[in-house]
Amino acid sequence: MAPLSIIANEARRRWRHLLLWGVLFALLHQVAMFAALLLRFRAWPNYVTFYDWPGNVLHIVRSTPSVRDMVGIIREEWLIEIGRMNYDYGTGISEWSLNIMPSRLLVLCLLGALVGLAFSLLHRTACASGARNGLRATTGLGAFLVALTNVTMSWVVCCATPSWVVGLAMLGLGTTTSLALERSGPLLSVLGFGLLTALILYLAWRKSRPAQQSKGVPAHA
Amino acid sequence: MKTFLKTTLTSTALASFAFAAWAEEITIAIGHQSMCTDTYTAGIVVKELGLLEKHLPTDGAYADAEWDITWSDYSSGGPITNQMLANKLNIGVMGDYPLIVNGAKFQETDSLRSIYVAGTGYNLKGSGNAIVVPVDSDIYSIDQLRGKSVSTPVGSAAWGMLLKAMQDNDMPAGEYVLKNQSPAVGAANIAAGKIDAHSDFCPWSEIMEFRGTGRKIYDGSEAGVPYLHGVVVREDFAEEYPEVVEAFLKAVIEAGEWIREDPMRAVTEMETWTGVEKEVLYLYFSKGGHLTLDPTIKTEWVDALKFDHGVLVREKAIPPLDFDAWITEDYIKAAYADMGLDYEADKAATVDPKEANAGLPAEIWHARDGVSTYETMPEFLAAVAAMQGTGAKLNATYVYDSETGLKLFGKTAFWVKAGEDYATFLRKGEAEAHAANHSGEVITFDAAIADFTTEG
Repeated sequence: MAPLSIIANEARRRWRHLLLWGVLFALLHQVAMFAALLLRFRAWPNYVTFYDWPGNVLHIVRSTPSVRDMVGIIREEWLIEIGRMNYDYGTGISEWSLNIMPSRLLVLCLLGALVGLAFSLLHRTACASGARNGLRATTGLGAFLVALTNVTMSWVVCCATPSWVVGLAMLGLGTTTSLALERSGPLLSVLGFGLLTALILYLAWRKSRPAQQSKGVPAHA
Repeated sequence: MKTFLKTTLTSTALASFAFAAWAEEITIAIGHQSMCTDTYTAGIVVKELGLLEKHLPTDGAYADAEWDITWSDYSSGGPITNQMLANKLNIGVMGDYPLIVNGAKFQETDSLRSIYVAGTGYNLKGSGNAIVVPVDSDIYSIDQLRGKSVSTPVGSAAWGMLLKAMQDNDMPAGEYVLKNQSPAVGAANIAAGKIDAHSDFCPWSEIMEFRGTGRKIYDGSEAGVPYLHGVVVREDFAEEYPEVVEAFLKAVIEAGEWIREDPMRAVTEMETWTGVEKEVLYLYFSKGGHLTLDPTIKTEWVDALKFDHGVLVREKAIPPLDFDAWITEDYIKAAYADMGLDYEADKAATVDPKEANAGLPAEIWHARDGVSTYETMPEFLAAVAAMQGTGAKLNATYVYDSETGLKLFGKTAFWVKAGEDYATFLRKGEAEAHAANHSGEVITFDAAIADFTTEG
């Protein structure tokens, strides 16, 4: 069977499982970011704002002639903002916040599903323990790159805009370095997805090979 | 018959148009910054005095229009641009660097554009931005920041000034540690002595000075690049409702007139609206203050914005900006004409604090009696001594930097006594040089007052 057919079969057969992987991955990502903020700043949030995301998207669609522009603007729309406000000066400034953005949830859902698919194929592919660990590490690296570049925390110290480099800055990376890395975010994200896709194709190819070449030989003899 | 038909068709079209206009609710969403003094004439003053409502068109297509005006307050210009892109704001007011980012981000899109329609105020030399150190710090000049940590809101006008100041002083990025901090965090860190220096925009440096937590070591005027703020509008909104944009700019002009008419009343009101101390605001909005309220678009401003864009391109790789397509004087010229004002005269006039403030009197703001003025330093110091002698509460005192003409708090200036003469300076180095040249000495404000304190 061709690798693509194997992937399609696997996805069709286990779509509920993959969907669960996706949803769980997206939710866990938000929980992890929230926990990171609480640990880093040792303070509870003191405000939460819910945004009319569907209404805002509709408004953007109506008032943006170009589809390309529309997508770019909608991508940055928030659903929920939860954070801590500093009221020492003027009307208050948000010190840090977690911004839940549906566009990123979708990307993380896809990422979770891909990771689930990779693990599913890995589980059903015969290979040595060393190779299995290497493949797991590759899955982890791909997932890490995508998850890292989809961080949506904001911190006043980092321009007060949610950006993936906020996570790096919170870990102590310098401002200049963080800003320089910000531009490579999309590239790293594509690299992460690329790694996962390549791994899934490789696993599917491996899975197709023993069936053609070594019929009757036990996988774990 | 032909004429009758033509008339009928025209009347029908006009009637349909009028009916459509009657049914229309026009939303005007404005993004402003209540913690940025230079934006007040297009923000908080217009909002609180209801000046936009006053100037909105009421005839023709707008005869029965229903207005839905919303104001959103932001702590920086960046989010205003994002909200304008999403069409949740039609009009934004911000400082020079965020303005450029606004124009460039819009021009980066395929279908959206913003236009720069007017200024709100300026300082010809760049005052408004400044570098501040903790009040007890032993740092007195920018050279001493080598190897130190300096924070600033990255992307703001203060960040741009900091980069230029460091370049002008031959201090490459590797020789100091740049940290990104918002104004509130920077001010708190200066108060706690947690950072060596903080660069910020107006009025944060003066808030720190007034609260006694920070001391300026570098004023934006040393960079020599004008510091200005302005108004940007989504182009599609301006094309659909040009009269509304014009009305907004008339409100901006009137807000400036309201402040100039009675600065004391204005800053007292503005304190209640923004939470920024009136004594700090007086430093900006009084006669001789840092800010020149002028909405015209001058050639020098366009040059300054082009310079700023160059800085941003080098540092953050922002998209290119076609200034000719972005800047338009049409709306502000129309607003001036409607109000019977001379645009070209205002455009031609620029205020240089060094010349304009030469000879301006020192001031004392008595908590009960208001502001009094003094032509000479001995008169001023004698008055301060006398008022302090009665236990009167003084809100603030104001003098001018002998070097730049910049208005300063009396308590934060470096005082030089040479014989019977007194001079005031922003920076210690210049005060020391003046003292050396005039056989004088650098003294504190309290010491200068003590010279006029009479016993009993």
